[in-house]
Amino acid sequence: MNIVVLVKQVPDTWSERKLTDADHTLDRESADAVLDEINERAVEEALKLQEAHGGEVTVLAMGPDRATEAIRKALSMGADKAIHVSDAALHGSDVLATAKVLAKAIGTVEGVDLVIAGNEATDGRAGAIPAILAELLGLPQVTQVRKVEIDGTTVKAERETEEGVAFLEATLPAVVSVTEKINEPRYPSFKGIMAAKKKKVDTLSVADLGLDPAEVGLTGAWSSVLEAAPKPPRSAGQRVEDDGNGGAQIAEYLVGQKLI
Amino acid sequence: MRYALRELLADVDSPAVTRAWARGDAAPGLAVWRRLADLGVTGALVPEASGGLGLSEVELVLVLDELGYAGLPGPYVESLAVVPVLLAGRDEPGRLAAVAEGRAVATALLPPRVPRALDADRADVLVRGSTAEIALVGGSLTLESSVDGARRLFLVDGPAVVVAEGAAAGRVVDAAFDGGALGCAAQLLGVGRRLLAMAVRHAGQRRQFGRPIGAFQAVQHQLADVLLRLEFAGPLVRGAAVALRDGTPFAARDVSSAKLAAGEAANAAARTALQVHGAIGYTAEHELHLWLAKARALRSAWGTPGWHRDRVAASLATGATAPIGAVDSRTGRE
Repeated sequence: MNIVVLVKQVPDTWSERKLTDADHTLDRESADAVLDEINERAVEEALKLQEAHGGEVTVLAMGPDRATEAIRKALSMGADKAIHVSDAALHGSDVLATAKVLAKAIGTVEGVDLVIAGNEATDGRAGAIPAILAELLGLPQVTQVRKVEIDGTTVKAERETEEGVAFLEATLPAVVSVTEKINEPRYPSFKGIMAAKKKKVDTLSVADLGLDPAEVGLTGAWSSVLEAAPKPPRSAGQRVEDDGNGGAQIAEYLVGQKLI
Repeated sequence: MRYALRELLADVDSPAVTRAWARGDAAPGLAVWRRLADLGVTGALVPEASGGLGLSEVELVLVLDELGYAGLPGPYVESLAVVPVLLAGRDEPGRLAAVAEGRAVATALLPPRVPRALDADRADVLVRGSTAEIALVGGSLTLESSVDGARRLFLVDGPAVVVAEGAAAGRVVDAAFDGGALGCAAQLLGVGRRLLAMAVRHAGQRRQFGRPIGAFQAVQHQLADVLLRLEFAGPLVRGAAVALRDGTPFAARDVSSAKLAAGEAANAAARTALQVHGAIGYTAEHELHLWLAKARALRSAWGTPGWHRDRVAASLATGATAPIGAVDSRTGRE
């Protein structure tokens, strides 16, 4: 059972996230970079499946050089090896280009049975990568799931949506994306942290994957950001002091807004 | 490593654990102990052959610093820094492996310098190291009081099984004492950092004369002085860890310097934090009290400031001028 886990390094969720002035891409320098929390859960699920079914867990990340820190964290949790796609040409890639790169990189791993991703990254929040990836790889997509089981060559999963719970089944290999209800990720042990330093990380460029640099990055993106402005601060709103006719004032306000 | 440890400790309600521990309820404290053991904390200094991680004092001080910051009760210094030294290579029934894996809690006494064993009633392995003997002891325990209610100190009187004796055993006991003093210094650093953090937080919240008290320069200066002392003590602790790891000729002096500096820094942090809090930390109900008591107790544990000062003075009297952690006294080269 060979599993590839997609991981992404993101700015810390609790920090203020900004776009750069130059090209409106994410300003990665302005905040602490961490392994996205949903990826910790994806790694945890892969390790649990590995404990039950054997095989190898490979971590795959696309990102600048410092993304190695996020990769090390995943390796210290217990993943076996890693692939890091790092290339200046990738700067500003959209979801389509990212999925293309990831699909090619997954192709370099032999005998992949399962690809596990988080449902969406906390920075971009597109949530489309797992689906696009499944399409590109020609694999069934078992996305947004809160529970995964492997039964022989079948993957069974529970997808929770606002309408209810869907029970999914697909034949392996498949692409799975997990939500935050899937599990509680483990803490990396000291042994794991030390062992991670010796684990193999393959660094690949766009050319290594046989892709044209023009297809990826800002130039290859299907849409471009022309202008960006920070969210305006919330205005204070209108305050109603109740001096006996507060109710009437509120009603007047709501009538003025054509709400009643 | 520090980051992994912090993440785990951030989930722990250490004031509740500490109060339960002092009251006589060891269950929450031992539950945290086992989680830390799963992480590998208890096996840091235990050799790989005995089921540990085979790390050195350099990693160990980092761990104990964080445990001091978290303020957890229990014989961490003894289990992590002292017993692994006392029992290394004398571990026939696999006691060290049990300690490394967190199945057993260990504590120690090294009379006359450390005459009482911490949390002896909750320990599965109790080791006594004296001038020319290392022995496993058991039997009757007498609880004595400490300024820190969560430090439960015991006099031990009972049958002993000698595992090593002679001058070589005495040298191992000396090394174990230095390990304990260094571990204590690292814990003191963490305690001091926590006290400062609490004082800074309080100074930012408490308002007087229409502004937060932290806006007054007199308060700022006091807090800055504490930070300065802690920042000066940190390199001494790390330098002494390097010295112990490498077995340098002045390691004992380096450990004493570290213990002194860390103890005085934590003491300054305690006094300042108490004053900045308007003395409210005197009440046992206030969380500050837990760290105040720790700073006070640890300052004179594992050798009093006077004892360590004597040892530094004795070393200086020989004309040794090697910097902390250095091997060669003349060139100071590492």
